[in-house]
Amino acid sequence: MLICENYHVPKSLEEALRLWGDAPDGSRLVSGATDILPWAREGRAGDVEVPALIDVTKIPDLKGYTCQTGRIRLGAATVYQDFLTDRTLMTNLPCMPYCAIWFADDQIREQATVVGNLVNASPVADGTPPVVALNGEIELARLSGGSVQRRSVPVVDFIEGPGRTVIQPGEIATAVTVDSAYGYGGSFQKVGQRRSLVISVACCAALVRADSTGAVFEDVRLALGGVGPRPIRIRDAERRLKGERITRDLIKQVAQTAADEVGSRSRKDYRRDVVVNFVRAGLEEALANQPEIGAKFKNFGETENA
Amino acid sequence: MPKIDLTMDVNGRKVAKQTEPHKRLLDFLREDLNLTGTKEGCGAGECGTCSVFVDGKLVKSCLMPAAKADGAKIETIEGLAKPGSLTPLQQAFHKTGASQCGYCIPGMVMAATSALRENPSAGIEEIKERLGGNICRCTGYTKIFEAVEIARDVIAGKLPETALDEDATGDSFIGANVRRLDAPSKVSGRLKYAADIKMVDMLQMQVLRAPMPHARIVSIDTSEAEAMDGVACVITADDVPGTDGFGVFVHDQPVMARGKVRHFGEAVAAVAAEDLVTARRALAKIKVEYEELPGIYAPEDALVDGAPVIHDYAQDNVIKHIPIRKGDIDKGFAEADLILEDVFTTQQVEHAYLEPEAGIAYVDHDDVVTVLSPSQNITHHRHMLADILALPINKVRFIMSAVGGGFGGKEDMIYQGMLALAAMKTHRPVQLTFTREESLVASAKRHPSKVHYKMGMKRSGEITAIEFDMLSDGGAYGMSSEGVMRKAAILSCGPYEVHNLKVDTTVVYTNNTPSGAFRTFGGMQAQFATESMMDMAAEALDMDPFELRRINMMKIGARTHTQQELTTASLDRVLDAAEEASRWETGAPRMRGGQRQDLGGPDTRRPCTLGARIGDAADTETKDERVAS
Repeated sequence: MLICENYHVPKSLEEALRLWGDAPDGSRLVSGATDILPWAREGRAGDVEVPALIDVTKIPDLKGYTCQTGRIRLGAATVYQDFLTDRTLMTNLPCMPYCAIWFADDQIREQATVVGNLVNASPVADGTPPVVALNGEIELARLSGGSVQRRSVPVVDFIEGPGRTVIQPGEIATAVTVDSAYGYGGSFQKVGQRRSLVISVACCAALVRADSTGAVFEDVRLALGGVGPRPIRIRDAERRLKGERITRDLIKQVAQTAADEVGSRSRKDYRRDVVVNFVRAGLEEALANQPEIGAKFKNFGETENA
Repeated sequence: MPKIDLTMDVNGRKVAKQTEPHKRLLDFLREDLNLTGTKEGCGAGECGTCSVFVDGKLVKSCLMPAAKADGAKIETIEGLAKPGSLTPLQQAFHKTGASQCGYCIPGMVMAATSALRENPSAGIEEIKERLGGNICRCTGYTKIFEAVEIARDVIAGKLPETALDEDATGDSFIGANVRRLDAPSKVSGRLKYAADIKMVDMLQMQVLRAPMPHARIVSIDTSEAEAMDGVACVITADDVPGTDGFGVFVHDQPVMARGKVRHFGEAVAAVAAEDLVTARRALAKIKVEYEELPGIYAPEDALVDGAPVIHDYAQDNVIKHIPIRKGDIDKGFAEADLILEDVFTTQQVEHAYLEPEAGIAYVDHDDVVTVLSPSQNITHHRHMLADILALPINKVRFIMSAVGGGFGGKEDMIYQGMLALAAMKTHRPVQLTFTREESLVASAKRHPSKVHYKMGMKRSGEITAIEFDMLSDGGAYGMSSEGVMRKAAILSCGPYEVHNLKVDTTVVYTNNTPSGAFRTFGGMQAQFATESMMDMAAEALDMDPFELRRINMMKIGARTHTQQELTTASLDRVLDAAEEASRWETGAPRMRGGQRQDLGGPDTRRPCTLGARIGDAADTETKDERVAS
């Protein structure tokens, strides 16, 4: 049971930063609250009494998203369901709908925020791989001499380990800014103990754009989740694919290298098998999901068994 | 405790209330507004019994702080239709029998309502996906999906409104959708389960549970908890006035741990307080000193010489042994052309009814100790509780509240005794509502079992002898173990006529969570072994498995394993129907997986594939959403 002495709903970022700076030890920021409430239960944290909860979802600055040149700033109140309902987000962030559909369920997605997911810094957070693939940078705000100061940190550097980030006392994560990947095909692979409402054992996000002929990899982005303490972008694999003719053999070869990215201590052999297949499936599905260019495999006719 | 002011529009009515800042929207709706149609099944966002609309979006109210909904427009199950009427969806749920225990149904109706609001022409895959956050334990979902599709088509005008009416029945009800009498109360959220009922001046109970599986209780100090403001009483085993002990067959379980704990999560003490938070805080003030004892965690270990003894009355740790003997197995195995031997194990299973255990006890004006709870066995509970409380039977009353799923898991009187003691001690109504976690640790489970199986057969397929030896894990208390072993023994060798058999089913005490009644009551464990053996035998004999079963099935005149002569038998028809329905590919069961031609037919259920709506959205995309680069 989560018990708090106070529940604050600041209406501006300044007010939130002031409350957060002054909050007694043990106070918590809440966004969707979909993680903190189940956390404060028997078997996890048990009964938790905190002085204050500061709810950041009513701050105008954190709501909605804005499009900049080639980039999209997702306010910290952006929820997962937005990636299944907002056309602009669906088409510009094509790996996010596939991530969202695997994330919890429709109802939790209406509450749960991407930025909250990143700040929790779970190694199995579904949101981390697609955001990392989109070159995400987290925006952190703090009060300095009465005015709001902001800094940006790439998500790959922001998350340092399980539950650990570079966020400083008094700072609030206000947004994550990601690449627009319009025209890319996206995909998200995930396996957990069951199909719905489950955390990942391993997951993989892929973004692919073929050239105008559809036969050559023009850009490839690959990121893994659940297989190490920190976010994993597999740049070696990306480099080996970029500029090359699209063939199943090449995908298979490159996918094989993903096994070495697995740093988990538990179920390591299983995870090594899974990520190899995930990279293959991720690339093939992302190729097929490209909106404008159908993928043309050089040796398309061949059939293979996984 | 500090308070916050909340203002909401709830079901079209403006609500302004002061409440505690920690309350979830679920608590605010149920406790402050008495809107108990919204249920709590898990408190962790898994089950969907608490689904409500907040500003038009369906959310899980157990995951939303009430303060987050300040100023919002809330819609609950109570607000979907005007009093006395039902929405087309609710009528469709009524029609198809989509509500059984009913506990998931308000949430399920809300999720279905949301699905059709979001997409009035949603296909079945999208409907399944959108209902994916709501769990039902009774129906298997088929009737729920059927109801949503009927409602969708009626709302769209593709089906007449009469499609929501009850099916006409001719001479027989078989094959017709016969409406349940209690369904309107369930689809509208009006039915009150034990946790939904409030009484004037009622206390809330919380239970302190053992943190280890086997330990002597050296001391319990409740003084600090009892001295807290708002605590009405603390009870332990010392408060039991009569003969402490309950169980379906052997009364080996005390109301609360007496002298020692025998499984993790066993009740040790309980607090009744003015409110839940005070009761929780008081639990933390109770000091219990334990001396850990060596435990038994595998049934085989319970039978070893020198094993720890869990109950003094059973020095050998055996709860029950059921032997059945028929014919002469030595002769039977001597006649066999083929003898197969194998071991089959099954695991512990939780019932996972959507309604966690809950109850209220009070002492009425005539001094009758009254317990209201979703008990599956109130008459037996009443008799046992009278002995425990040292009261004549006419001073103990049990009221069976609506059971939000039981499946056998609510046959054991694991909390009603504590409620009665607290009510007697305070003379106030006392309510206890389990959390999901508490339900998982404290309630009985399906018996884990291990069967050593030996089957002798002739080349013709005729079974000549069976030796069946099952060892089951009864856990810390007897509960329904004896009955489960009886049924497992009676059904052990399946519906096959076996002239020579030796059957032993044994259940022993361990320090695991107690095992008890669970759908099939021992039959499943036995059938898993027998039917697996039949398939393996068919493969070994190069014979069609249906054929093998027909050769051995009990027919009229057959003698069962317990020597009952059958005057009716229907297995021949069952096998014919199963063979046809499964489109069984005749022959020995050698082929597996993708080679088989009888898998994946039109009426089989394919694995869920997510993303029904992503493709649809991509089809209608327009170019102007591109962000400038």
